[in-house]
Amino acid sequence: MASEEEIRFDRSLLGVEHPVGEFEITKERILGFAKATGESEPVFVDESEASKTKYRGIIAPPTFCNIFTSEIKRPEIGLEFGDLGFHAGQAIEYKSPVRPGDKLSAKTKLKEVYAKTGRSGKMVFEVWETNFTNQNDVLTATVKESFVHRNKTNL
Amino acid sequence: MYLDLHAHSISSDDSRATVEQYVKWTSVLRRKGREIDGFVLTEHRGFDFGKDYKKLGQDNDVLILKGSELDTNIGHFLVYGVNEQLAEMVNFSQVGLDALNLIKSAEICGAIAIPAHPGRFGVGLYEYYGQEYDLSSIKIVEHLNGSNRPGEQERAEELIAKYKYACTGGSDAHLVSAIGTCMTEFDTAISNESELVSQLRTGNFRPVRIEQTGTKNV
Repeated sequence: MASEEEIRFDRSLLGVEHPVGEFEITKERILGFAKATGESEPVFVDESEASKTKYRGIIAPPTFCNIFTSEIKRPEIGLEFGDLGFHAGQAIEYKSPVRPGDKLSAKTKLKEVYAKTGRSGKMVFEVWETNFTNQNDVLTATVKESFVHRNKTNL
Repeated sequence: MYLDLHAHSISSDDSRATVEQYVKWTSVLRRKGREIDGFVLTEHRGFDFGKDYKKLGQDNDVLILKGSELDTNIGHFLVYGVNEQLAEMVNFSQVGLDALNLIKSAEICGAIAIPAHPGRFGVGLYEYYGQEYDLSSIKIVEHLNGSNRPGEQERAEELIAKYKYACTGGSDAHLVSAIGTCMTEFDTAISNESELVSQLRTGNFRPVRIEQTGTKNV
Protein backbone atom coordinates (compact mmCIF):
# COMPACT_ATOMS: atom_id res chain seq x y z
CA MET A 1 0.00 0.00 0.00
CA ALA A 2 2.79 2.45 -0.82
CA SER A 3 1.90 5.66 -2.59
CA GLU A 4 5.46 6.91 -2.79
CA GLU A 5 5.70 5.75 -6.41
CA GLU A 6 4.01 9.03 -7.29
CA ILE A 7 6.48 11.19 -5.40
CA ARG A 8 9.75 11.74 -7.19
CA PHE A 9 12.85 11.90 -4.99
CA ASP A 10 16.14 10.08 -4.54
CA ARG A 11 14.87 6.74 -3.22
CA SER A 12 18.39 5.41 -2.71
CA LEU A 13 18.51 7.52 0.47
CA LEU A 14 15.64 5.68 2.17
CA GLY A 15 16.84 3.91 5.30
CA VAL A 16 20.53 4.58 4.66
CA GLU A 17 22.39 5.93 7.72
CA HIS A 18 24.69 8.91 7.27
CA PRO A 19 27.15 9.99 9.97
CA VAL A 20 26.35 13.65 10.58
CA GLY A 21 28.55 14.79 13.42
CA GLU A 22 30.21 14.32 16.77
CA PHE A 23 29.41 16.43 19.79
CA GLU A 24 31.46 16.91 22.96
CA ILE A 25 29.21 17.32 25.96
CA THR A 26 30.29 19.79 28.60
CA LYS A 27 28.68 20.64 31.92
CA GLU A 28 28.34 24.24 30.72
CA ARG A 29 26.35 23.13 27.69
CA ILE A 30 24.00 21.06 29.84
CA LEU A 31 23.54 23.91 32.33
CA GLY A 32 22.97 26.36 29.47
CA PHE A 33 20.28 24.13 27.99
CA ALA A 34 18.67 23.66 31.39
CA LYS A 35 18.62 27.41 31.97
CA ALA A 36 17.23 28.13 28.51
CA THR A 37 14.39 25.66 28.99
CA GLY A 38 13.59 26.70 32.56
CA GLU A 39 14.68 23.36 34.00
CA SER A 40 14.99 23.34 37.80
CA GLU A 41 15.30 19.65 38.70
CA PRO A 42 18.50 19.32 40.79
CA VAL A 43 19.72 16.32 38.78
CA PHE A 44 20.04 18.61 35.77
CA VAL A 45 21.33 21.79 37.40
CA ASP A 46 22.87 21.17 40.83
CA GLU A 47 26.12 19.18 40.94
CA SER A 48 25.98 18.66 44.69
CA GLU A 49 22.38 17.41 44.74
CA ALA A 50 22.84 15.41 41.53
CA SER A 51 25.78 13.54 43.09
CA LYS A 52 23.36 12.08 45.66
CA THR A 53 21.11 10.57 43.00
CA LYS A 54 21.51 7.23 41.23
CA TYR A 55 23.20 9.14 38.40
CA ARG A 56 25.99 10.31 40.72
CA GLY A 57 26.26 13.63 38.98
CA ILE A 58 24.57 16.01 36.57
CA ILE A 59 22.86 14.54 33.53
CA ALA A 60 21.29 16.35 30.58
CA PRO A 61 17.52 16.91 30.44
CA PRO A 62 15.75 14.34 28.22
CA THR A 63 15.30 16.61 25.20
CA PHE A 64 18.91 17.82 25.24
CA CYS A 65 20.07 15.95 22.10
CA ASN A 66 17.60 17.90 20.04
CA ILE A 67 19.85 20.99 20.13
CA PHE A 68 22.29 19.24 17.82
CA THR A 69 19.79 18.53 15.07
CA SER A 70 20.01 22.14 13.88
CA GLU A 71 23.73 21.58 13.26
CA ILE A 72 23.14 18.51 11.11
CA LYS A 73 23.56 18.69 7.36
CA ARG A 74 21.30 16.16 5.68
CA PRO A 75 21.67 14.86 2.13
CA GLU A 76 19.43 16.57 -0.44
CA ILE A 77 16.64 14.18 -1.43
CA GLY A 78 15.92 15.78 -4.81
CA LEU A 79 12.20 16.01 -4.20
CA GLU A 80 10.30 17.11 -7.30
CA PHE A 81 7.38 18.75 -5.56
CA GLY A 82 6.57 22.11 -4.06
CA ASP A 83 8.24 25.48 -4.00
CA LEU A 84 8.01 26.02 -0.26
CA GLY A 85 9.32 23.94 2.61
CA PHE A 86 9.42 24.27 6.37
CA HIS A 87 10.03 22.35 9.56
CA ALA A 88 6.86 20.55 10.55
CA GLY A 89 7.72 19.16 13.96
CA GLN A 90 9.87 16.74 15.88
CA ALA A 91 9.58 13.93 18.39
CA ILE A 92 12.39 13.05 20.76
CA GLU A 93 12.66 9.62 22.30
CA TYR A 94 14.90 9.53 25.34
CA LYS A 95 16.95 6.35 25.62
CA SER A 96 19.72 6.79 28.21
CA PRO A 97 21.43 9.59 30.19
CA VAL A 98 23.87 12.04 28.63
CA ARG A 99 26.61 13.24 30.99
CA PRO A 100 29.35 15.88 30.93
CA GLY A 101 32.38 14.40 29.20
CA ASP A 102 30.35 12.22 26.85
CA LYS A 103 31.14 12.29 23.17
CA LEU A 104 28.00 11.77 21.12
CA SER A 105 27.93 10.57 17.54
CA ALA A 106 24.91 11.23 15.36
CA LYS A 107 23.72 9.22 12.40
CA THR A 108 20.67 10.20 10.39
CA LYS A 109 18.53 8.39 7.86
CA LEU A 110 15.61 9.25 5.64
CA LYS A 111 12.76 7.38 7.30
CA GLU A 112 9.91 8.05 4.89
CA VAL A 113 8.47 10.43 2.33
CA TYR A 114 4.70 10.59 2.01
CA ALA A 115 1.95 12.78 0.66
CA LYS A 116 -1.28 13.98 2.22
CA THR A 117 -3.98 16.48 1.42
CA GLY A 118 -5.36 19.19 3.64
CA ARG A 119 -7.28 22.45 3.51
CA SER A 120 -4.51 24.08 1.50
CA GLY A 121 -3.98 21.23 -0.95
CA LYS A 122 -1.33 18.56 -1.37
CA MET A 123 1.68 18.37 0.92
CA VAL A 124 4.68 16.07 0.91
CA PHE A 125 6.36 15.17 4.19
CA GLU A 126 10.02 14.23 4.46
CA VAL A 127 10.80 12.42 7.71
CA TRP A 128 14.35 11.99 9.07
CA GLU A 129 15.37 9.92 12.05
CA THR A 130 18.60 10.75 13.87
CA ASN A 131 20.16 8.43 16.45
CA PHE A 132 22.63 9.74 19.02
CA THR A 133 25.04 7.25 20.60
CA ASN A 134 27.71 7.89 23.21
CA GLN A 135 31.41 6.87 23.29
CA ASN A 136 30.36 3.41 24.56
CA ASP A 137 28.05 2.95 21.60
CA VAL A 138 24.98 3.29 23.83
CA LEU A 139 21.96 4.89 22.21
CA THR A 140 21.03 8.06 24.11
CA ALA A 141 18.22 9.55 22.02
CA THR A 142 16.30 9.22 18.78
CA VAL A 143 15.01 12.40 17.17
CA LYS A 144 12.41 12.20 14.43
CA GLU A 145 11.94 15.38 12.40
CA SER A 146 9.40 16.18 9.70
CA PHE A 147 9.75 18.73 6.93
CA VAL A 148 6.76 19.63 4.82
CA HIS A 149 6.82 20.74 1.18
CA ARG A 150 3.96 22.49 -0.54
CA ASN A 151 3.11 24.90 -3.29
CA LYS A 152 2.87 28.61 -2.61
CA THR A 153 -0.01 28.88 -5.04
CA ASN A 154 -2.21 26.89 -2.65
CA LEU A 155 -1.69 29.25 0.27
CA MET B 1 -25.86 4.05 21.67
CA TYR B 2 -23.42 6.89 21.08
CA LEU B 3 -20.29 6.33 18.98
CA ASP B 4 -17.72 8.85 17.91
CA LEU B 5 -17.16 7.75 14.30
CA HIS B 6 -14.06 9.82 13.58
CA ALA B 7 -10.91 9.88 15.73
CA HIS B 8 -7.15 9.76 15.17
CA SER B 9 -4.55 8.22 17.44
CA ILE B 10 -0.75 8.27 17.23
CA SER B 11 -1.05 5.90 14.27
CA SER B 12 -1.94 9.03 12.29
CA ASP B 13 0.95 11.36 11.53
CA ASP B 14 -0.80 14.41 12.94
CA SER B 15 -2.10 13.08 16.26
CA ARG B 16 -0.29 12.64 19.55
CA ALA B 17 -3.21 11.06 21.39
CA THR B 18 -2.92 7.42 22.43
CA VAL B 19 -5.89 5.09 22.45
CA GLU B 20 -5.38 4.58 26.18
CA GLN B 21 -5.68 8.36 26.71
CA TYR B 22 -8.91 8.44 24.71
CA VAL B 23 -10.27 5.67 26.92
CA LYS B 24 -9.37 7.64 30.05
CA TRP B 25 -11.01 10.76 28.66
CA THR B 26 -14.12 8.74 27.89
CA SER B 27 -14.37 7.93 31.58
CA VAL B 28 -13.91 11.62 32.39
CA LEU B 29 -16.82 12.47 30.11
CA ARG B 30 -18.95 9.81 31.76
CA ARG B 31 -18.12 11.15 35.22
CA LYS B 32 -19.31 14.52 33.96
CA GLY B 33 -22.61 12.88 33.12
CA ARG B 34 -22.15 12.66 29.37
CA GLU B 35 -22.94 9.53 27.39
CA ILE B 36 -20.37 7.94 25.13
CA ASP B 37 -20.24 4.23 24.35
CA GLY B 38 -17.18 4.13 22.15
CA PHE B 39 -15.24 5.49 19.21
CA VAL B 40 -13.83 4.47 15.85
CA LEU B 41 -10.14 5.03 15.12
CA THR B 42 -10.09 6.32 11.56
CA GLU B 43 -6.38 6.66 10.92
CA HIS B 44 -5.16 8.73 8.00
CA ARG B 45 -4.27 6.78 4.86
CA GLY B 46 -3.83 3.49 6.67
CA PHE B 47 -5.36 0.77 8.78
CA ASP B 48 -3.91 -0.87 11.87
CA PHE B 49 -4.40 -4.53 11.04
CA GLY B 50 -1.95 -5.52 13.76
CA LYS B 51 -3.61 -3.66 16.61
CA ASP B 52 -6.29 -5.18 18.79
CA TYR B 53 -8.05 -2.98 21.33
CA LYS B 54 -10.67 -5.53 22.42
CA LYS B 55 -9.22 -6.11 25.89
CA LEU B 56 -8.62 -2.41 26.52
CA GLY B 57 -12.19 -1.75 25.47
CA GLN B 58 -13.68 -4.56 27.55
CA ASP B 59 -11.69 -3.60 30.64
CA ASN B 60 -13.04 -0.07 30.43
CA ASP B 61 -16.48 -0.72 28.97
CA VAL B 62 -15.66 1.30 25.85
CA LEU B 63 -16.25 0.02 22.34
CA ILE B 64 -13.10 0.65 20.30
CA LEU B 65 -13.46 0.01 16.58
CA LYS B 66 -11.06 0.59 13.70
CA GLY B 67 -11.53 2.28 10.34
CA SER B 68 -9.65 4.62 8.02
CA GLU B 69 -9.74 8.13 6.61
CA LEU B 70 -8.53 8.15 3.02
CA ASP B 71 -7.53 11.01 0.71
CA THR B 72 -9.59 10.83 -2.50
CA ASN B 73 -10.02 12.93 -5.60
CA ILE B 74 -13.19 14.44 -4.11
CA GLY B 75 -12.02 14.97 -0.54
CA HIS B 76 -11.45 12.80 2.49
CA PHE B 77 -13.53 9.65 3.01
CA LEU B 78 -14.16 7.66 6.16
CA VAL B 79 -14.13 3.91 5.64
CA TYR B 80 -15.75 1.51 8.08
CA GLY B 81 -15.51 -2.29 7.98
CA VAL B 82 -12.01 -2.29 6.49
CA ASN B 83 -10.66 -5.76 5.77
CA GLU B 84 -7.70 -7.26 3.94
CA GLN B 85 -9.69 -7.71 0.75
CA LEU B 86 -10.38 -3.98 0.60
CA ALA B 87 -6.77 -3.14 1.45
CA GLU B 88 -5.68 -5.25 -1.51
CA MET B 89 -8.11 -3.56 -3.87
CA VAL B 90 -7.41 0.01 -2.78
CA ASN B 91 -4.05 1.68 -2.16
CA PHE B 92 -4.85 3.33 1.18
CA SER B 93 -1.73 5.49 1.29
CA GLN B 94 -2.29 7.05 -2.12
CA VAL B 95 -3.57 10.61 -2.22
CA GLY B 96 -6.15 11.38 -4.89
CA LEU B 97 -7.78 7.94 -4.79
CA ASP B 98 -10.75 7.52 -7.09
CA ALA B 99 -13.57 8.03 -4.56
CA LEU B 100 -16.28 6.44 -6.67
CA ASN B 101 -14.13 3.35 -7.09
CA LEU B 102 -13.50 3.38 -3.34
CA ILE B 103 -17.24 3.44 -2.65
CA LYS B 104 -17.78 0.50 -5.02
CA SER B 105 -14.83 -1.48 -3.70
CA ALA B 106 -15.97 -0.93 -0.13
CA GLU B 107 -19.41 -2.23 -0.98
CA ILE B 108 -17.97 -5.35 -2.63
CA CYS B 109 -15.87 -6.03 0.47
CA GLY B 110 -18.64 -5.53 3.02
CA ALA B 111 -17.35 -2.12 4.06
CA ILE B 112 -18.74 1.37 3.58
CA ALA B 113 -17.10 4.65 2.56
CA ILE B 114 -18.63 8.04 3.33
CA PRO B 115 -17.38 11.60 2.81
CA ALA B 116 -15.71 13.07 5.90
CA HIS B 117 -16.29 16.74 6.77
CA PRO B 118 -18.03 17.48 3.43
CA GLY B 119 -17.98 21.22 4.05
CA ARG B 120 -14.24 21.40 4.62
CA PHE B 121 -12.28 23.81 2.49
CA GLY B 122 -9.92 22.01 0.13
CA VAL B 123 -10.72 18.44 1.11
CA GLY B 124 -14.51 18.40 1.48
CA LEU B 125 -17.08 17.01 -0.95
CA TYR B 126 -18.66 20.48 -1.29
CA GLU B 127 -15.80 21.59 -3.52
CA TYR B 128 -16.59 18.93 -6.11
CA TYR B 129 -20.27 19.42 -6.78
CA GLY B 130 -20.93 20.80 -10.23
CA GLN B 131 -17.88 19.06 -11.60
CA GLU B 132 -17.88 15.97 -13.80
CA TYR B 133 -18.38 13.45 -11.00
CA ASP B 134 -21.51 11.32 -10.68
CA LEU B 135 -22.05 11.55 -6.94
CA SER B 136 -25.31 9.62 -6.85
CA SER B 137 -23.71 6.68 -5.04
CA ILE B 138 -23.16 8.87 -1.97
CA LYS B 139 -26.01 8.33 0.49
CA ILE B 140 -24.41 9.24 3.82
CA VAL B 141 -22.12 12.11 4.82
CA GLU B 142 -20.47 13.17 8.05
CA HIS B 143 -22.68 16.04 9.16
CA LEU B 144 -21.20 17.06 12.51
CA ASN B 145 -17.42 17.26 12.63
CA GLY B 146 -15.72 18.48 15.77
CA SER B 147 -12.79 20.02 13.89
CA ASN B 148 -14.72 22.19 11.49
CA ARG B 149 -13.65 25.80 11.06
CA PRO B 150 -16.08 28.70 10.62
CA GLY B 151 -18.08 28.29 7.42
CA GLU B 152 -17.42 24.57 7.00
CA GLN B 153 -20.40 23.34 9.02
CA GLU B 154 -22.69 25.66 7.05
CA ARG B 155 -21.39 24.27 3.76
CA ALA B 156 -22.02 20.71 4.96
CA GLU B 157 -25.55 21.64 5.97
CA GLU B 158 -26.19 23.22 2.59
CA LEU B 159 -25.32 19.93 0.87
CA ILE B 160 -27.36 17.87 3.32
CA ALA B 161 -30.43 20.05 2.83
CA LYS B 162 -30.10 19.82 -0.94
CA TYR B 163 -29.32 16.11 -1.32
CA LYS B 164 -31.10 14.70 1.75
CA TYR B 165 -28.14 12.65 2.92
CA ALA B 166 -28.24 10.44 5.97
CA CYS B 167 -25.92 12.02 8.53
CA THR B 168 -23.26 10.87 10.96
CA GLY B 169 -21.18 12.75 13.49
CA GLY B 170 -17.59 12.42 14.63
CA SER B 171 -15.15 14.47 16.65
CA ASP B 172 -12.22 14.22 14.19
CA ALA B 173 -10.21 14.18 17.41
CA HIS B 174 -6.45 14.58 17.16
CA LEU B 175 -6.19 15.66 20.81
CA VAL B 176 -7.32 13.65 23.82
CA SER B 177 -9.89 16.15 25.08
CA ALA B 178 -11.60 16.30 21.69
CA ILE B 179 -12.86 12.71 21.74
CA GLY B 180 -16.64 12.48 21.72
CA THR B 181 -17.35 16.14 21.00
CA CYS B 182 -19.49 14.99 18.06
CA MET B 183 -20.93 11.50 17.79
CA THR B 184 -23.51 9.36 16.03
CA GLU B 185 -26.52 8.01 17.89
CA PHE B 186 -27.63 4.53 16.82
CA ASP B 187 -30.95 2.92 17.72
CA THR B 188 -29.44 -0.57 17.80
CA ALA B 189 -26.47 -1.78 19.82
CA ILE B 190 -23.24 -2.29 17.89
CA SER B 191 -20.35 -4.47 19.04
CA ASN B 192 -18.03 -4.74 16.06
CA GLU B 193 -17.12 -3.22 12.70
CA SER B 194 -19.46 -5.35 10.61
CA GLU B 195 -22.42 -4.44 12.82
CA LEU B 196 -21.42 -0.80 12.42
CA VAL B 197 -21.50 -1.19 8.63
CA SER B 198 -24.89 -2.91 8.84
CA GLN B 199 -26.31 -0.12 10.98
CA LEU B 200 -24.94 2.56 8.68
CA ARG B 201 -26.75 0.85 5.81
CA THR B 202 -30.08 1.00 7.66
CA GLY B 203 -30.05 4.77 7.92
CA ASN B 204 -31.23 4.55 11.56
CA PHE B 205 -28.78 6.97 13.11
CA ARG B 206 -28.30 10.66 13.65
CA PRO B 207 -25.48 13.04 14.51
CA VAL B 208 -25.29 14.47 18.03
CA ARG B 209 -23.09 16.88 19.90
CA ILE B 210 -21.96 15.68 23.28
CA GLU B 211 -23.96 18.44 24.95
CA GLN B 212 -27.09 16.70 23.67
CA THR B 213 -26.30 13.50 25.60
CA GLY B 214 -26.89 12.87 29.32
CA THR B 215 -26.69 15.82 31.65
CA LYS B 216 -26.60 14.27 35.12
CA ASN B 217 -23.94 15.80 37.40
CA VAL B 218 -23.22 18.56 34.88
